[in-house]
Amino acid sequence: MTSKITTSQTIGPFPHEAWNWAVELTAKVDSAAPQITVKGCIFDGKGEPINDAWAEAWMPDSAALESAHAIPGYRRVPSGDDGGFTLQITQAQNVGDGKPAAYITVFARGLVKHQFTAIFLEDDPALAQSAILNQVPASRRDTLIARKQADGSYLWNINMQGAAETVFFDYI
Amino acid sequence: MQFDVVEPGVYPELIYPTYKSTVSRGPTQAPLRIRADAATNTNLFASPKLILPHDMDLTAQGKSAPLGEKIVVTGRVLDEDGKPVRNSLLEVWQCNAAGRYWHKRDQHDAPLDPNFTGLGKMLTDDNGRYRFVTIKPGPYPWGNHHKAWRPAHIHFSMFGNVYAQRLVTQMYFPNDPLFDYDPIFQSVPDAAARQRLIARFSLEETVDDKMLGYEFDIVLRGRHATPMES
Repeated sequence: MTSKITTSQTIGPFPHEAWNWAVELTAKVDSAAPQITVKGCIFDGKGEPINDAWAEAWMPDSAALESAHAIPGYRRVPSGDDGGFTLQITQAQNVGDGKPAAYITVFARGLVKHQFTAIFLEDDPALAQSAILNQVPASRRDTLIARKQADGSYLWNINMQGAAETVFFDYI
Repeated sequence: MQFDVVEPGVYPELIYPTYKSTVSRGPTQAPLRIRADAATNTNLFASPKLILPHDMDLTAQGKSAPLGEKIVVTGRVLDEDGKPVRNSLLEVWQCNAAGRYWHKRDQHDAPLDPNFTGLGKMLTDDNGRYRFVTIKPGPYPWGNHHKAWRPAHIHFSMFGNVYAQRLVTQMYFPNDPLFDYDPIFQSVPDAAARQRLIARFSLEETVDDKMLGYEFDIVLRGRHATPMES
């Protein structure tokens, strides 16, 4: 028997108080494994920053490296007034095998269904062999690749629309 | 787990011009169907320690009882096979009985209730069941258009048993006269899918002379692969 799914609705403008507990619990990273910082902004189709969006990160291979965490392998961050967000990512040993640095879920007011995407690192030597990236049309892969900055952090923006519209996934 | 294509009309339209902010925020390209084992087979671990006292009783978080109609909301979280989604994290948030959110950006000229924040979280049990006590939320205006009022609703955020089951939705109450005028509710083209967002009044879940009961079952995407026929 197949049950009919419950549909999605927007988070609206007011989840902050309800969602903050998980922001606080995941803000401080406690792990001996290598860390990277991914910074970015989320933009709408007019190029305006979205100041009431949220990103959640899931790092399945990093969870075991953060066993002291309340929610190992998971992060939740709101976007700031400038649309900016920062994610602290624990690097698993298998980084460099073309896997995403993190699976990302995006939420916002005016977004009636959350969107799944993922971050890859430009200096991952196995990027060309990535099982996920190879399912993405070559012309759009750049939207999933974070660029290394002079300070060692990575830059990865989310564009909801436009020429550089981020690739969003529907998992099979 | 395996995730079938969602039937047309079940999900809301990502760009639905009568809900104005979708126009520049909804992706224009269809989501890309891809295989990613970690997304469909792994998930965060939701420890019972995350749930604090009174997270499941939103009427017990203040110094005294909040104003409004006390209700209990319960239901089961299931997958597409009809199997319970067990030990799964679920968050709820809502405005108070007057239609005001506990949020600095909510400018609606309705009173806050010092005894009600409208925030809760819980885990589903072994049958996939959740249950929380709250105050029936009020309708409120939201500025999308002239006389734009949201039907009363409770926001639900579900983490499922695998990452790809993540879902955020809104639960509505039966017979709300605002359904026909609400672009957020109406952004779902399929009438039956809209209907599934409406809780059912339940005399069975009603607790004596304490509170009325509402039942709201949630079906997350995902099913276990069908065994090969021999």
